[in-house]
Amino acid sequence: MPDALLLLVALPYLGAAIAGLLPTHARNAAALLAGGVAVAGLILVFLAYPTIEAGGIIRWQAEWLPSLGLDVELRMDGLAWLFAGMITGIGSLVVLYARYYMSGEDPVPRFFAFLLAFMGAMLGMVLSGNLLQLVFFWEITSIVSFLLIGYRHQSAAARDGARMALTVTAAGGLSLLAGILVLGHIAGGYGLDLVLDRGDVIRADPLYLVALVLILIGALTKSAQFPFHFWLPHAMAAPTPVSAYLHSATLVKAGVFLLARLWPALAGTDAWFWIVGTAGMATLLLGAYVAIFQHDLKGLLAYSTISHLGLITLLLGLNSELALVAAIFHIINHATFKASLFMAAGIIDHEAGTRDMRRLSGLNRLMPFTARLAMVAAAAMAGVPLLNGFLSKEMFFAEALWAPAPHPLIFDLMPFAAVVASAFSVAYSLRFIHAVFFGPDPEGLPRTPHEPAAWMRAPVEVLVLICIMVGILPAATVGPYLATAVQAVLGTDTPEYSLAVWHGLNWPLAMSAAALGLGVALYALLQRHLAGIDGAPVLRLLDGRRLFERAMVFLAWRVARLLERLLGTRRLQSQLRLVLGAAVLAAVGAVLVRGLGPGNLGHSAIDPVLALVWLIGGACAVGAAMHAKFHRLAALLSLGGAGLAVCVTFVWFSAPDLALTQLLVEVVTTVLLLLGLRWLPKRFETAGSAASAPVTRTRRAIDLGIALAVGCTVAGLAFAVMTRTPPELLAQDFLARAYTEGGGTNAVNVILVDFRGFDTLGEITVLGIVALTVFALLRRFRPATESIEVPEQQREQSAYDTLQPDRKDGDTAADWLLIPGLISRLLFPVVCLIALFLLLRGHDLPGGGFAAGLAAAVALILQYMIGGIRWFEDRVTIRPLRWIGVGLLLATATGLGAWAFGRPFLTSYFNYLEVPVFGAIPTPSALVFDLGVFALVVGATALMLVALAHQSVRAHRALPRDAGAGPAPPSPLAGGE
Amino acid sequence: MTHMTLPSLIPVIPELALALMIMALLMFGVFRGDGSTRAVSWLSIIALVVTIVLVGMGPTEKTVAMNNMFVTDGFARVFKTLTLLGSAVALILSFGFNRDHQMERFEYPILVLLATLGMMLMLSANDLMSLYLGIELQSLSLYVIAAFRRDDSRATEAGLKYFVLGAVSSGMLLYGCSLIYGFSGSTNFVGIAKALSGVPHGDVSIGLITGMIFLVAGLAFKVSAVPFHMWAPDVYEGAPTPVTAFFAAAPKVAAIGLFLRAMLSPFGELVTDWRQVIIFIAVASMLLGSFAAINQRNIKRLMAYSSIGHVGFALLGLAAGTQEGVRGVVVYMTIYLVMTLGTFACILSMKREHGMVETIDDLAGLGRTHPAMALMLGIFMFSLAGIPPLAGFFAKFYVFMAAVNAGLYILAVIGMLASCVGAYYYLRVVKVMYFDQPAGAFAPVRGELALVFGATGLFTLFFFVYPAPIMAAAETAARALLP
Repeated sequence: MPDALLLLVALPYLGAAIAGLLPTHARNAAALLAGGVAVAGLILVFLAYPTIEAGGIIRWQAEWLPSLGLDVELRMDGLAWLFAGMITGIGSLVVLYARYYMSGEDPVPRFFAFLLAFMGAMLGMVLSGNLLQLVFFWEITSIVSFLLIGYRHQSAAARDGARMALTVTAAGGLSLLAGILVLGHIAGGYGLDLVLDRGDVIRADPLYLVALVLILIGALTKSAQFPFHFWLPHAMAAPTPVSAYLHSATLVKAGVFLLARLWPALAGTDAWFWIVGTAGMATLLLGAYVAIFQHDLKGLLAYSTISHLGLITLLLGLNSELALVAAIFHIINHATFKASLFMAAGIIDHEAGTRDMRRLSGLNRLMPFTARLAMVAAAAMAGVPLLNGFLSKEMFFAEALWAPAPHPLIFDLMPFAAVVASAFSVAYSLRFIHAVFFGPDPEGLPRTPHEPAAWMRAPVEVLVLICIMVGILPAATVGPYLATAVQAVLGTDTPEYSLAVWHGLNWPLAMSAAALGLGVALYALLQRHLAGIDGAPVLRLLDGRRLFERAMVFLAWRVARLLERLLGTRRLQSQLRLVLGAAVLAAVGAVLVRGLGPGNLGHSAIDPVLALVWLIGGACAVGAAMHAKFHRLAALLSLGGAGLAVCVTFVWFSAPDLALTQLLVEVVTTVLLLLGLRWLPKRFETAGSAASAPVTRTRRAIDLGIALAVGCTVAGLAFAVMTRTPPELLAQDFLARAYTEGGGTNAVNVILVDFRGFDTLGEITVLGIVALTVFALLRRFRPATESIEVPEQQREQSAYDTLQPDRKDGDTAADWLLIPGLISRLLFPVVCLIALFLLLRGHDLPGGGFAAGLAAAVALILQYMIGGIRWFEDRVTIRPLRWIGVGLLLATATGLGAWAFGRPFLTSYFNYLEVPVFGAIPTPSALVFDLGVFALVVGATALMLVALAHQSVRAHRALPRDAGAGPAPPSPLAGGE
Repeated sequence: MTHMTLPSLIPVIPELALALMIMALLMFGVFRGDGSTRAVSWLSIIALVVTIVLVGMGPTEKTVAMNNMFVTDGFARVFKTLTLLGSAVALILSFGFNRDHQMERFEYPILVLLATLGMMLMLSANDLMSLYLGIELQSLSLYVIAAFRRDDSRATEAGLKYFVLGAVSSGMLLYGCSLIYGFSGSTNFVGIAKALSGVPHGDVSIGLITGMIFLVAGLAFKVSAVPFHMWAPDVYEGAPTPVTAFFAAAPKVAAIGLFLRAMLSPFGELVTDWRQVIIFIAVASMLLGSFAAINQRNIKRLMAYSSIGHVGFALLGLAAGTQEGVRGVVVYMTIYLVMTLGTFACILSMKREHGMVETIDDLAGLGRTHPAMALMLGIFMFSLAGIPPLAGFFAKFYVFMAAVNAGLYILAVIGMLASCVGAYYYLRVVKVMYFDQPAGAFAPVRGELALVFGATGLFTLFFFVYPAPIMAAAETAARALLP
């Protein structure tokens, strides 16, 4: 038997897949398939009945997510059985009906595929043995109902209706998921048995209300309860068989099913009463009231559905066992009469061509059989005695009178509200019958109405028969099924109740009579005016759809726009502002949250001289930023000034090593940048009118503010951090270990080549790559036309030369910086020697491979600048690529060398080597590494220099050359490569 | 000092092998010229597959190498496999586009491989230095790839923006790293954790906290979480579509993996400090990703906002800070990767005679002109929206569950709200495809694109049938990170 459950859920999906593959016009085949599946399902359900009746629960389990302890569990008890029966039973009838309703021109197989998928989803939901699985199928019903409602996608109404239904129900589904997660968290698991068992624990939990509200949002949206009811009338754009199925027995019943299912776990509190009861009561009254004023048959039925679901919800919200019985009973009754009414409305639409009650009349004569059926069903809806609607309405009246309410006022008002709502219900039922079937013969209908095909009427006949049978002999027909369903929810708490037509003369009967009388009177009063009233008076102002669309526009348009405007800028400047601002805020926030307080280190006195240096440095930095866009040369020089201030600071705080490196880096980078600037326009002439000047100025002022804020924050952070240094400083550790472990007294160098040698290796690799990239980029670089021409200064010089009779062109240039040039040429070997000196002593004293390499590079740059490319390259051949390669290989080989001795990569070894004349020279293996660094730095700098320098050669080549220019020099790279 | 003999390189073998293959391919390409692009591309895919196999054969338990700078464990294995798969598929997606748009140069696959290598290093980072090394190797390759179409002004702008903003964020990251190093005395994750363990919570130095905040800011940029997200829409829109597909897939997965390890491994003790920050980032990302996407007309830009939102959801799992949370993130990223690649395969198929189109309106009536593609794109959209039974639902589900179980109820509810809003714009795409009048058919879909969106679509659709293997892998990963 358990496997039958799996079959029951899987069969519709299988059918849907097959139906989806059928050709578009295979109407009969698809209908046969769908009907077969639905009937097979119904048979399976009935086969399960004996077990269920005996109070058994059928389960089927399979491992699904073992790591979560979640299994797929299908579980059929009385309640699930009842719903499964309705889903498959009414499903079979709807399939039969749809076969005749749907036009052969539509892609009917797709319709049946959706319908079957929906059936599968509903069955999966009601048979779910754990709550997560239930949510899962719940959302599938939302999606498939979207497809079903939007089946006629050519019509805008269908599209809007489908989208609205999906938005509301799927959003509700997500809320339900959140609620179920919280509920599972409280109960300690998601298994249905477990959760239902822990009702007391759940209700006592502080999170109960959170879970309750979230779950109720899910259930109320699905069952179209106020204030989420507005989607249902718009879903009427679906083909009528869909409405008959979705809005009688299935989709909207999912919400009340969930309420009934979780009743033992969640109900019984005041919160439950207030939320569920209020929503139900409001919906009951509002739906019934609005239904009276509908002109569309399906619109009337839609609001009536809303109202009846409100009734069921209200009953579930009353916290009384008897009310629960009435709710479940009414679920069955509503499903039967509402399905038959929808089908009847569909027949009328099909045969008469319209559903507008203002145009229909007198159909009683043209289609007498259908008319009789519809009248009986409508009477059941109105609650006329001897029909099933009457019975559950009686029970509702009894509950309205006697159910315990948390507030006496509610207790007093409820019976009146119940009677009013029932009177409304009678009025709209009466209108349905009277407007359509009585009165004069219809005129001007699109088609001439006549009885439908017998098979199309058959489902209505079956349903109406059930209405009557249940109405007359409730205990013999529906009694046992209702009993098993109620038992499944309430277990041992099941109260005594009696299903009978006649309970004697009592209050509920009197209320029924009053409602009938009032309803008839109301209709008689309104009848003549109804055709002229468009929409329900007063309440039409409260158009849920308009509110929904407004909310959607607000969210989807205004909020989205606003957010995008605020945060989604496409301008790089604003983006940078945002990044920096966020980072600063985060850092300041962290500091503020943790509290700053005074640091644990004392401040040293401020030296006025150093302060002055810093002031200059700061001014230089600000100047650099100010000019960066407009005058690059000035900006660059200011930047150099700022760097120099840093350099002086290093000296001041006895960090000669850093100072040396910083100085050399400053010199080399500034010179290289200056060389590069040659090929960029000297000045940025700001394009734009004078009018934009204030804007520009404001923006720059803002930028200045941001720069200051970021700078001050970082400086402040640095200050804060440095005044609260923990006692065990890292630096001390390095200082202590520098000699003992690294064999050097220059801790900085030891850190570079030994402690953090791996970093250095990475850095020099990057440096090499950068140099290669610069070279590769500049190799193909062609300067912009405006910067190709000879610089202004040179032009003036040659103009001067040509004007003077005793001078030749180029004389001034040849004599330029004659004496400094000579000195610098003489200094070349000296600087090289210094570089070597720096390299060798680096391990113990300020210096090292990096500084030495830069020093050597400075020597090269000097020669290039003084002598010019041709002069220098004629005399000295540098092969920068080889330098880079050798350097990198040396450094890596030193590192790898450690492996030969079974030590980790880059472990250093040191010793002193006795060299005649010089004495003991420290020869750690790190020296070799440092040599590699040196070679690489020289090579990289030289390569960049060469790349830049050769631009001038090439640029002149691009212009018509003056006479007397020598041939282009050979590339320094051409030889070696 | 430990003995470092050659065998201890075993954990690094996949990376070493990939690096060697990249260099070999680079040489091959250099000497054979652009005519070898197709060969290099296929060889690159083979290289990625070989690396996946090597990752799979590597040690299963936690193993360190390279002076503790490199770690491989179940977590790294899972994320590396995802990343490599993502890169391989992104490469396959690029073939047709590159051929049609004069982008068929052999450097493209090489750069993708280099970026992937960087991602693998990121995922195995056990030290701030290897972290930075990996990030930069990845980022630099990505900058170049973003601007790969040099003659296209949008692509160059995208590349430049990405580079400038990326450099700023790297700067912040480095600043953070140096503060962390200075105040914990170690760059090693284990060392930092050791320095933090046993210290009373109030005594943790503010320097370390500040450093951590900057580290988070830098990492948030890499995963494009709000407020460091703004590069994503521009870059996604401006970069050539296959590049966008790649950006949305592998790097995002890798960055999230790194984010998890960097937060949980060294700073596990400080969870109360960073949780607030992560919660803020997650909430802001979810909300912005959902709301700002609504207005988008360009589907690539839409995907950018979508990815911002998804990162927010994934970070919910990190905010939980539990093993369950990590598991949720792993599942999330797996599913996200598949959905994203599939979606981009569809976007890359949006081609008319005169070239590629990329607005949502161009999809009008796809349901009638290309039913199969429309079905798959529809599946991806529903899945991205997180509607069951599609995989995207489970992705969200696990992180929400982790958040709820960690007591972050409000966060979970905000997440639900955000995904409701998010559903709106995904569904709009579905609506345009199925309900609007056809705007003209697309050119026939290329075989490999159809294969990708078909396979990923089926995965998305049928994930729920047999999720156990992925769940088990996620479980292993989570247990490796948070024992």
